[in-house]
Amino acid sequence: MTNFTVSRRDFLKMSGATVGALVVGQMLPISLAKAAQEAGLLDENMTGHISTMCEMCVWRCGLIAKIVEGKVVKLDGNPDHPHSRGKLCPRGQSGLMNTYDPDRVLTPLIRVGKRGEGKFRPASWDEALDLVASKMQGIKEKYGPEAMVFSSTHNLSQVQFENLLNAYGSPNYGTQRSLCFNAMIVGNLMTYGMEEPARDYSDAEYIILTGRNLMEAVSTSETGDLTMAMDRGAKMVYLDPRFTKTAAKADLWLPIKPGTDLAFHLALLHVIIKEKLYDRAFVNANTVGFEQLETTVAPYTPDWAAGITELKATDIETVARDFAAAGSKALAHNGWRTSNFENSFQTARAIASLNALVGNWGTTMLPASGGHGGEGLGMPPQPPYPRASARRLDGVPWKYPLVPFKLGVFQELRDAMLTGDPYQAHGWFISRQNPVQSLPDRTRTLEAMGKMDFIVSVDIFLNDTSWFADVVLPESSYLERYDPLSQVGNRVFIRQPVIEPQGDAKSALWIYKHLGERLGLGDYFQYEDEEDFLRQQLEPTGVSLEEIRKKGYLDLAAPEHGEEPDIFHFNTASGKVELFSNVLDGAGFDGCADWEEPPMPENGRFYLLTGKVAQHTQFATQNNQLLNKYQDEPRLWINTKSAEKLLLKDFDLVRVTSDVGQINIMVNVTEAIRPDCVYMTPGFGHISKGFTTGYGVGASDSVLHVTYTDPISGGQALTQTFVTVQGI
Amino acid sequence: MSTQATPGKYGFLIDVTHCIDCRACNVACSVENNVSMDSTRIWMNGTGVVGEFPELSSSTAPFHCMHCNDPSCVSACTVGALTRDHDGIVQYDDDRCIGCRYCIYACPFQVPNMDLDEKMPLIVKCDMCGDRLQEGEQPACAATCPPGAIQFGRREDMLAKAHQLITDHPDKFIQHVYGEHENGGTSTFYVSPVPFEELGFPMTSSTSSAYLNRLVTHGTPAVFGAAAISLSGIYLTIKNVKEESAEEARIAAQTAVVQAAEGAAAETAAIEAEESTSEEA
Repeated sequence: MTNFTVSRRDFLKMSGATVGALVVGQMLPISLAKAAQEAGLLDENMTGHISTMCEMCVWRCGLIAKIVEGKVVKLDGNPDHPHSRGKLCPRGQSGLMNTYDPDRVLTPLIRVGKRGEGKFRPASWDEALDLVASKMQGIKEKYGPEAMVFSSTHNLSQVQFENLLNAYGSPNYGTQRSLCFNAMIVGNLMTYGMEEPARDYSDAEYIILTGRNLMEAVSTSETGDLTMAMDRGAKMVYLDPRFTKTAAKADLWLPIKPGTDLAFHLALLHVIIKEKLYDRAFVNANTVGFEQLETTVAPYTPDWAAGITELKATDIETVARDFAAAGSKALAHNGWRTSNFENSFQTARAIASLNALVGNWGTTMLPASGGHGGEGLGMPPQPPYPRASARRLDGVPWKYPLVPFKLGVFQELRDAMLTGDPYQAHGWFISRQNPVQSLPDRTRTLEAMGKMDFIVSVDIFLNDTSWFADVVLPESSYLERYDPLSQVGNRVFIRQPVIEPQGDAKSALWIYKHLGERLGLGDYFQYEDEEDFLRQQLEPTGVSLEEIRKKGYLDLAAPEHGEEPDIFHFNTASGKVELFSNVLDGAGFDGCADWEEPPMPENGRFYLLTGKVAQHTQFATQNNQLLNKYQDEPRLWINTKSAEKLLLKDFDLVRVTSDVGQINIMVNVTEAIRPDCVYMTPGFGHISKGFTTGYGVGASDSVLHVTYTDPISGGQALTQTFVTVQGI
Repeated sequence: MSTQATPGKYGFLIDVTHCIDCRACNVACSVENNVSMDSTRIWMNGTGVVGEFPELSSSTAPFHCMHCNDPSCVSACTVGALTRDHDGIVQYDDDRCIGCRYCIYACPFQVPNMDLDEKMPLIVKCDMCGDRLQEGEQPACAATCPPGAIQFGRREDMLAKAHQLITDHPDKFIQHVYGEHENGGTSTFYVSPVPFEELGFPMTSSTSSAYLNRLVTHGTPAVFGAAAISLSGIYLTIKNVKEESAEEARIAAQTAVVQAAEGAAAETAAIEAEESTSEEA
């Protein structure tokens, strides 16, 4: 049963035309049109504005979609949403192009050729879901539920994805977190007892950004906050081996050597403690382990750090003193690093300790607000999950005792799928994720896929991972579907369809429910449809779905007991900020942030840096024609002097070789990078020919990245990959 | 012929210190105005990375139609496709455009551009998102700018704010409000930490070239047909010379504008001579 009026072929014919041409021709089928009219969102001409949420990255800005005659023609930031405040970044602005992309997969696909040939036949949902269910059931019966691996990336429907995997009974769950910020999260958990404290720039006077490239890795509200703080006169120090857009705005840019963020921060701790510049009252009242920290950082002088970081000792001293002088109005951004090494966990701990020493808790750093599940919201009833008895393939907790279950160690999971140690996985269910591009060492990932009896992928495109899948289930885009409600602080936001799904695309809520039912797990999916799921979520609030659809959000009532929670009680073993952690110490790791020597490239090899650009999100947006239009050509940055030594000119083609792979790419000869580093923007070099715009553009960093895992946090040490560069 | 140099109603204030080169303005404009994938109404100018590692600096700024008080493009347009409306917005009517490209050469800011691959290339330029203004919304670029580098409002307010900024922060800004006097005054004002030449901004005269253009386009109604024929000749010549990519065309256009500015007086004199000849005839 199809309900679309423009076929994919028609869309293809239109590709390369104007945005408008792509928008034309898609009429709202009667169901949504009627509902939208009845809700007062659209007029009789199917024209109006509908509030929903962006999904071009994970910041989740609120947006208002402008609909003209049933087509979405413009997206604007929702002024009422704390993440967008009326603004959207380039990715957010380009979002409708993802929805109207001629490369969308609009019907379930079943593979007919060899894996990787890209030959599929269209199928009905009944056929595709029956096939997936029978394969999953077969694997469960033959090898146990643990032989089925599930993986998905941070999204609003993740709660139902996790529901599916827990109900199925598999302990094997891969998220992108270990590829991104396990070190930061585990570091914060060990220090503050929370994953990521919130940052408040409104009173900030002195800000240290360790690789947090906020002017390119745009998080709309935070980027705006930083700009406003600097306008007010706040000083910003930025560490990065590259001269990024953020470096260009910094009061002081420190081109630190990769892998040595830790030495820099240990020296700051050293100066602040030695010169007694810390907030004694805060430290005494709210921290434990100051004496151990004092002893630990005693040897780490600015001169010591200067030798390691290749920065000036005087700069390090000045930053330490100025940071401490700002006291509670100082902020060391606790969410990032300039490079990712196995010592990044220690860096995260050092940054957390630095913030604690100046007593900025309650001023520039605050408890994270709200959850994703929604504490004040309801959920459909469901039975308890079966107990997953098998060990996790990613080594949590038997190999990685401190890594939270929900983070996991994705790269180790992939390796276990390849080696069969401690047991062989046989199936892989992937949703909204592209591990072929995101995991380090693409060759190994493809080999691991080769070991799978069955692979199913849910996405709106035939991405590089779907390209190797046996069944592809087409999801509706974020402008076409409901997702579970999202809570930010006391406010609940809705993602709702602003247009009818194109082709036969379906929402995640629909897909998981209908698959769950076929697997005999219907009791875990007790909702009629997407709207029913949201109504059950809204039940305790007394707000109707129609109301929140119209307004785009609702404010939950404040807790009744009226007592403000004590923000100075921390969810750690001691209830305080732990400069020294008994948990870490007990597990055989350093109790305080301490120096770990990072590996360094030798024999003319370079550090391989990767980082974000404002025009793209990871591996997901390179096919977006609007972003493609305004992106920089993806080239390998190399310092002018290094290029001269290698006899390279700007735009020369080079071969880049690491221990695990090789790519060809054009160089960008620039002063804006340390001579011992090269940089490339990740996410390019797609191998799926399902990406008409993105295929063949640039090269993939995942081909080069070597797999190294931090034993404490399970984080992938992405920058520990060293490469040679050779003209060709 | 009198000048049209009355200030417009609306204006932009673009603070170069705030621009992060994210290009949200570019994308927002393309969507809002349904711009072809091969052209743009707004783009980034910048200094590039200046200096030697590690002593580096870099600035960028979005650039679009300045909406001049006395627009050179309007005066150069022989068919009335380009007009300045009562709010001071320079409007373009593609139904009237004959593709002569005179506006491209007339504009000292190198703003009008076109997709040269098209058989009948139309001009692409900013109109301050007229539809949004009617709905009480800001132009798409200003509305979305994440760091708030593009502001939009009443022209006089924007100009006052620009002066306030450079007066209050002489350490942060050079003492020049770009757009205030350029080409006789515009509705788009920039404040910057670096000289505007370094940002790649065109350096124009403080008087508009529109007066000279009007001598040509408005002073010759009797010989319009003849002018159109000669323009077609010029068009064909240009077309032969310039079948390059849009980017190369832009660079070429920059050169052409400089030459045009230098040669404008001579050219006008020549056409005036021709005009008097035909009047005698």
